Amino acid sequence: MAELRGSHGKAKHHLLTQHFGTEGLATLKGYQKLGGYETLERALGMEPKALVDEVKASGLRGRGGAGFATGVKWSFMPPPDGGPRYVVVNADESEPGTSKDRYLMENSPHMVLEGILIAAFAVQSHQAWIYIRGEYDHPYQMLMTAIGELREAKILGDRPFGKDYALDIQVYRGHGAYICGEETALLESLEGKRAQPRSRPPYPAAKGAWARPTLLNNIETLATVPWIIKHGAAEYTKFGTEKNRGTRLLSVSGNIRKPGVYEIEIGVPFTHVIMELAGGPFEGRQIKAFWPGGSSAKVLPASRMDVTTDAEALAAADSMAGSGGCMVADDTACMVETTYRLLKFYAYESCGKCTPCRVGGNWAVRTVAKILAGEGSRLDLQILDKIQAGLQDGRCLCGLGDSAGWVVQSAMNHFPEEFEEHAVRHTCSVKRERAAASA
Amino acid sequence: MPDQPPQDGVTLTIDGRSVTVPKGTLVVEAAKLLSIEVPVFCYHHKLNPVGACRLCLVEISPGPPKPQTACTTPVAEGMTVRTNTAGAVAARADILEYELVNHPLDCPVCDKGGECPLQDYTFRHGYPTSRIDAPRLHFEKPVPLSDKIALDRERCVLCYRCTRYYDEIAWEQELTTDQRGVSSFITNQFDRPLQSIFSGNIIDLCPVGALTSRVWRFESRPWDMDHTASVCSKCAVGCNVTMWQRRHQLVRVTSHENDAVDDGWICDRGRFDYTEVNSPDRLRAPRVKGAHATWNDALDALLDGVRGKKLGISVRQDLTNEEALLLKRLVDGPWAGARVVMPRRTRIPAAEGETLHIVELERARCIVVIASDTADDVPVVNLRIKKAVSKHGARLILVHPDDLDLDRWPHGVHHVRPGAGGYAEALRDLRDHEYLKEGPVAVLYGDAQGSEDGGAIAAAAAGLAQAVGGKLMPLYRATNERGALALSLLGEETDLEGCEAVLIIGPGAPPASARFTAVWDFLLRPEHGEPDVLLPSPTFAEQQGSYTNLEGRVQFLRPPLHVEPPLRESWDVLLDIGQRLDAGLDFLGIVQIQKAAAQAAPALAALAGPPAPAAAPTAVLYGPARP
Amino acid sequence: MPALDIAQEEAGYLTPESMTEVAHALNLDPGYVEGVATFYSLFHLEPVGEHRLYICTNLACMLRGAYDILAHANRAIGVAETGEVSEDGLFSTEEVECLGACEYAPMMRLDHAYHYDLTPEKIDALVAERRNRKGARRHG
Repeated sequence: MAELRGSHGKAKHHLLTQHFGTEGLATLKGYQKLGGYETLERALGMEPKALVDEVKASGLRGRGGAGFATGVKWSFMPPPDGGPRYVVVNADESEPGTSKDRYLMENSPHMVLEGILIAAFAVQSHQAWIYIRGEYDHPYQMLMTAIGELREAKILGDRPFGKDYALDIQVYRGHGAYICGEETALLESLEGKRAQPRSRPPYPAAKGAWARPTLLNNIETLATVPWIIKHGAAEYTKFGTEKNRGTRLLSVSGNIRKPGVYEIEIGVPFTHVIMELAGGPFEGRQIKAFWPGGSSAKVLPASRMDVTTDAEALAAADSMAGSGGCMVADDTACMVETTYRLLKFYAYESCGKCTPCRVGGNWAVRTVAKILAGEGSRLDLQILDKIQAGLQDGRCLCGLGDSAGWVVQSAMNHFPEEFEEHAVRHTCSVKRERAAASA
Repeated sequence: MPDQPPQDGVTLTIDGRSVTVPKGTLVVEAAKLLSIEVPVFCYHHKLNPVGACRLCLVEISPGPPKPQTACTTPVAEGMTVRTNTAGAVAARADILEYELVNHPLDCPVCDKGGECPLQDYTFRHGYPTSRIDAPRLHFEKPVPLSDKIALDRERCVLCYRCTRYYDEIAWEQELTTDQRGVSSFITNQFDRPLQSIFSGNIIDLCPVGALTSRVWRFESRPWDMDHTASVCSKCAVGCNVTMWQRRHQLVRVTSHENDAVDDGWICDRGRFDYTEVNSPDRLRAPRVKGAHATWNDALDALLDGVRGKKLGISVRQDLTNEEALLLKRLVDGPWAGARVVMPRRTRIPAAEGETLHIVELERARCIVVIASDTADDVPVVNLRIKKAVSKHGARLILVHPDDLDLDRWPHGVHHVRPGAGGYAEALRDLRDHEYLKEGPVAVLYGDAQGSEDGGAIAAAAAGLAQAVGGKLMPLYRATNERGALALSLLGEETDLEGCEAVLIIGPGAPPASARFTAVWDFLLRPEHGEPDVLLPSPTFAEQQGSYTNLEGRVQFLRPPLHVEPPLRESWDVLLDIGQRLDAGLDFLGIVQIQKAAAQAAPALAALAGPPAPAAAPTAVLYGPARP
Repeated sequence: MPALDIAQEEAGYLTPESMTEVAHALNLDPGYVEGVATFYSLFHLEPVGEHRLYICTNLACMLRGAYDILAHANRAIGVAETGEVSEDGLFSTEEVECLGACEYAPMMRLDHAYHYDLTPEKIDALVAERRNRKGARRHG
């Protein structure tokens, strides 16, 4: 396995990552040596509703991107009607700049599985599905090995820990589509169809996988659950801000010295994350911009590194906490180029179901390409601005279109002079400097 | 929906006007009642809403502070909908602009031009100026989906109506979407031609010029045509159709939605099999021994030819009720003893009294289909069965020796294959099946294509219906079989073998025994041979009259084309024959014939009244002002 | 989709025939299977190299020189354009979206494994190793 880049070892706020790097943590034996699955055993003896209430009280919010209150989502599941109901775990981590779920699955697959099983019991489901992106070969193997161990140990099966409550986990591999991170598209894909988001309502809690009640949660969200149940919601709420409790994992990447997946207490500022944890910029370089929550979060200029990592502060700064993928660009990055690259991503990954995202994303790409090629004009900037507005605020069926709009909007908003320079004067000062430096 | 008094009424306000609609109504439908146009591409009232095109964005409160899709949102008590806020107007204009970014704008050569929602919506809801100067994306075009349908992928707005129709309504998967994002396109699998007999409906569904009829392609502009709402003549279902004429040519047939009969669909036979009407070989004047003749001479020759010989008459499957009455009078009078056959008819006996109506299939909890391949015999009833099963949850039992189209339902079809004991035994054994425990039960029966005694199958079906409290529906095949049976025109025999003189009305071959042959059709067909007398007839697009469909519904034809002399209405020619034979056929016009038919058979009572008025034209809806 | 995986393992990519086979095995229409297969980027509908270099060029990798790596990889396997198959059929490159290992950027997926902190030298070594293996198989 590659060198561990990110949080591990004892620290007050290392709730999930404390034991990462410990020899054998990925094995059932190693995990149990550290108290693993004791929480599941205890949870199976509790009232399901008590578990839901505990998670509600912890203030845990989804770590997939939308940040919805996890306990509340659990409570949306209708009462059991005797038919099947599912927990579907979103391990389709595809948001550019985000690698924390991989970090969790590779380092402690059993922690992830324990969280999934607690959630399954809490919402009275017997069957969990993990939808993992197809490119994650290694995490997939690790999950499969861990599930095999659980079956052998009868923790998965008809009577986990002697409790008359059957539990099972199946793993389904994706096949390369970012849209599968969207929960209803994921369900379509799980059912073997083209992954196009469904119009909601009905919500998955009412009609999810195979039209049955379904709870969808992100890997990190569920990986946090064992800690909460073990130590209690009160302990968890000691971390984070009032509206945004706990810790979370940020994957920090880009033009910084120490990229890695860092577990932070929610509410610390990005200066701490970027300049301290990630070691700041390279010698002689300046940080220019950062995307605080994956590529879908609006880009912020370096001057806003004082923003804290909680959802409220980021929203106030007109960005979002998103999936916790923090990408950092220094002054060698041209913001029109970064915009182009991200737009290309959103256009390529558009499922094509709804009009604005299908057409608008591609139109934006072509417009920025024209500007980058030095063939733009002020009119193209106006068109680009209009296109991005047409992708936002409920115009699209799901959030992908909005994200594409935000990419353009935030870059044009914070770096207008770079767009102006490309479109009107047909030049790029960043590129000129880069050329001068290499000469 | 509008003409039913709302039971569970929900009152909401749209653009300041109040409307009460049944619970579950979608906002887009509620707006229609107020003549407020909310433009849609993906939404279609016969398909499940998907919210894909985003053109129907309106502002709804209470609700999130951003536009919502009117096509997926059900009404709620006290809801306030605004279609004309700046945000909603801009949202729709932006979506329309997006639709045009890669659209070829080849309207001048597009068959849809003039009746195109994309044109109309852009006109009413779009931006008045264009800002698009990007090069357009291109696709291969036109792609033949079959020999009947062409697909222009550049015009396509990917509303998925066609693929959803194939999936939801027709239960086919041969039309799908490939690729994703802006590269997505509609395709038939590996370019294999579409096989479905219901393929043509996607042309009607397409809101742009992407799917066009290859039969009609480049034929005429929509505004050049007149149209009438008539009835299809191809089978006993009696689907309502719109027939389009231009300069005395029938140039197009489309669906004319009638929820009681066809639910808005027609099959490809009804849609595409019309070009014979315009054939240059159409018979216009009578002939005797191959030479042109006057009607007077031809009818004399006919009557001379049949006189004193054993007469056989073969009638077209779409013989009108009126023609049937007149023929019946002739074979009861001067032509007594003549044998009358109708090719393509079933062996099902005449129905007694009321039978199940097509629309009742949707309320059935279990549908039993006996001895009929409904996809071929009664295609659009087949679609209604599919709807009852997939949208209303009816259970399905098939009694037939072969695999059928309906077997495609993946969630449980009970298929019984009759054994040595035939249908009678199979149906007796079926009575206790669990699917039949919950009613209403619909029992549909055909005639096994004549392989078994039709009367026996009918009796067995009636026995089953009685045992489970079900209602019967005979699946007649020939267009006006039920009407002809109601007038007792048809006998037991199935062919004219042994007859010395024959009158072939419509397609059909004279028997070897015939010494005299008269043919009465609109084309001389190879199977007709060389008839002694040849009479020209009008087609389904010209003749007056009515059909009785398989459920017993009497429907009047509204022909789009006139009968041009020397061609004569068939009922008029039959009256002429009757007078020559002194048969007492002294009717002064078709209305009197219809009144007589209504008296002759209670099943045709509807003929006594005036035809139902033609459906009102679709209301012109006005949207809010453009941005 | 697992069935399509198996079909793809055989030739490296999906042909109309193999998709039709999958469809019949699962009682589906071939058109439906084609629609699914063309939606997902991990299904190939054109011939690909035996070893495929899926090089991430999304932002986190791009900021750390992924496009230079991609250009170098194309040179190393001897193709002019991304997506071409090398003459010996051994290699092809593909520009892919974020693979979720951003702390190791630039990175790629090759032969069902991730390769991190890519440099031109690393690419050369990985390519050479696979070429030699093939050579050894041929001569051995």
